[in-house]
Amino acid sequence: MSSGQDEKPESGVTEYDSKKSFKDKLIWLGDHFRNEWQLYVMLAPTIIWFLVFLYKPMYGLQIAFKDYSIFRGVAASPWVGWEHFHTLFSNDQFIRAFWNTIKISALNLLFGFPAPILLALMFNEILHVTYKRVAQTIVYLPHFISTVIIAGIVTTAFSPTAGVVNTIMGWFGLDSIYFLTRPEWFRPIFVGTGIWQEAGFGSIVFLAAIAGVNPSLYESAVVDGASRWQMMWKITLPCILPTIIIMLIIRIGNIMEVSFEMIILLYQPATYITADVVNTWVYRQGLESGQYDIAAAAGLFNAVVAFVLVMVANTLSRRYVRTSLW
Amino acid sequence: MSGVKLEKIVKAYGRLEVVHGIDLEVKEKEFVVLVGPSGCGKSTTLRMIAGLEEISAGDISIDGRVVNRVAPKDRDVAMVFQNYALYPHLSVFENIAFGLRIRKESKGHIEKTVKEASDILGLTPYLDRKPAELSGGQRQRVAMGRAIVRRPKVFLFDEPLSNLDAKLRTQMRAEIKQLHRRLGATSVYVTHDQVEAMTLADRIVVMNDGNIEQIGSPMELFMNPANTFVAGFIGSPPMNQLQGNIEKVSSGLQVRINDTVIDLPNNTNVEDGQSVVLGIRPEHISLSNNEGTSAMSISLNLVETLGSEALLHAKFGEQDMIVKAETNGQIDHLSEISTVYAPTDLVKVFDAKSGLVLSEPFSQGSNT
Repeated sequence: MSSGQDEKPESGVTEYDSKKSFKDKLIWLGDHFRNEWQLYVMLAPTIIWFLVFLYKPMYGLQIAFKDYSIFRGVAASPWVGWEHFHTLFSNDQFIRAFWNTIKISALNLLFGFPAPILLALMFNEILHVTYKRVAQTIVYLPHFISTVIIAGIVTTAFSPTAGVVNTIMGWFGLDSIYFLTRPEWFRPIFVGTGIWQEAGFGSIVFLAAIAGVNPSLYESAVVDGASRWQMMWKITLPCILPTIIIMLIIRIGNIMEVSFEMIILLYQPATYITADVVNTWVYRQGLESGQYDIAAAAGLFNAVVAFVLVMVANTLSRRYVRTSLW
Repeated sequence: MSGVKLEKIVKAYGRLEVVHGIDLEVKEKEFVVLVGPSGCGKSTTLRMIAGLEEISAGDISIDGRVVNRVAPKDRDVAMVFQNYALYPHLSVFENIAFGLRIRKESKGHIEKTVKEASDILGLTPYLDRKPAELSGGQRQRVAMGRAIVRRPKVFLFDEPLSNLDAKLRTQMRAEIKQLHRRLGATSVYVTHDQVEAMTLADRIVVMNDGNIEQIGSPMELFMNPANTFVAGFIGSPPMNQLQGNIEKVSSGLQVRINDTVIDLPNNTNVEDGQSVVLGIRPEHISLSNNEGTSAMSISLNLVETLGSEALLHAKFGEQDMIVKAETNGQIDHLSEISTVYAPTDLVKVFDAKSGLVLSEPFSQGSNT
């Protein structure tokens, strides 16, 4: 048999791009724009959206370093340096909100992130097409229900008088609990609600990734004698791992952005101790108390933490699993 | 190693029947190639042997045991897929060892077996690489390595070379042939490439539209095609097929095509006036007027130079034909050819309606 050493391995990597100068890249971009202008036209709405809603508001970030007054405006307000950050870090409520954010996000990541993957793997094992479609539709539905309605359903379900949860507990002789006023129950209810609402819809991405796995890998494994369980562990999961990692990095990037609306709708002063997060604290400080500069400082701190987390996650992922978002 | 037997095998998807009751026996250690155009049912047949497709009717036996309801893993077959089916996240070693690990073989056995296979296939330097870091040929070797280590009763190949370029395909073809000789494994190989079939097979099974058209050795099929389909499918370029009518004259049998008459062997089973298709292999047509040949006036359209040979594309009356000629290093004289000669002994006659052969078969290996 031939050693095959004379054959060159296939490689998609070329050094050409990395050797191009900035001027060459600009010329290439100009040519590309002329040849593929239709693509840029389609891209334009997204770019405009980013500019208007994400980049332009960055101008207002400077009020985190100013003694901001709505009467003087952003430009005329005097600079105060890091004063607002000193205020923030000496504020017990902010510190509590920060740790609550971390804890709720960690729980979301721990339980909420694997849930759609497990669902997708389970859907993939359902062979009956009609049953599969019905099951998928049912679990997708909560995603399309307004957050306000979801919060209403949760409030009703956990009601101490007519709630289904307390009713079931009553059948087993357990005392009624007013769950939404008990701080220790807020996080489980919040994380559980998030999974119920989003796991189904989130599974679509992983189902698409599973659909992209080469069917002959499974056929080859069947001939080799692999069971469905072995195929799931040894083929499906490793093959969708890049998708899982990309989704994890995106999720880590949003770790400071817990579902703000849902918390506003579910929490109350009695549960602030476990429910108040940075965004709800910013909302109360900024909009209810009118301290826009301190709220902006908290928001900026939030964004910086998220930025650092996503950078670290991406770098670690690129280094250890060779998959990264950029 | 063991044989495979297919008896009245039918495959239907709902009302659509794609394999229509085929019979085939693959002997122990034999290399059988299923060949035919796309959609003829050859891959479906292979997948039924593997157990990846259920059979609708009939029996499949491996090593004398009917395996209709036996799971693929218990049929003791190994399959090499067209797109290699390598696990992208596993190294070459782990890909080859996959089937052994699934079967919970001991670590020592796995290492020894994988090493032996990688030595045979020239993969030892690449055992730590991932499939993405290999060339197409190397990937195909890994796929074969995965099959070899299982030491199955039957090897199944589903168009394993069709993703490779022409040069690599030729190289891998030779390697598969050598591997078969070395392992002596019963093998069923599917391809749509008749050159692959001719070079690899002990016996070729020509399939068309869910039926077996002919089974035989490469030379049997080349010299004695059972019908016009096989005549047109086996051989490169394919056999020329010219429409004509039989004339019985005092000197013997002739076929008239336009104004030309071509002599036929006297043992051809035809009737006077019968519409027939005259089959002449391009390589059997002579440029010189030897004894036992019939002259054919042609108008040359194109000369394709292949190096030692050239293909002359010509019109014979209104019908297209191809002549394969030796160049002897020169092609200028070929463009002036206007007459070629059909050898009486080597022409085949087919019934124009059924397409079935009417000529007596040549004895195997003669006149080649």
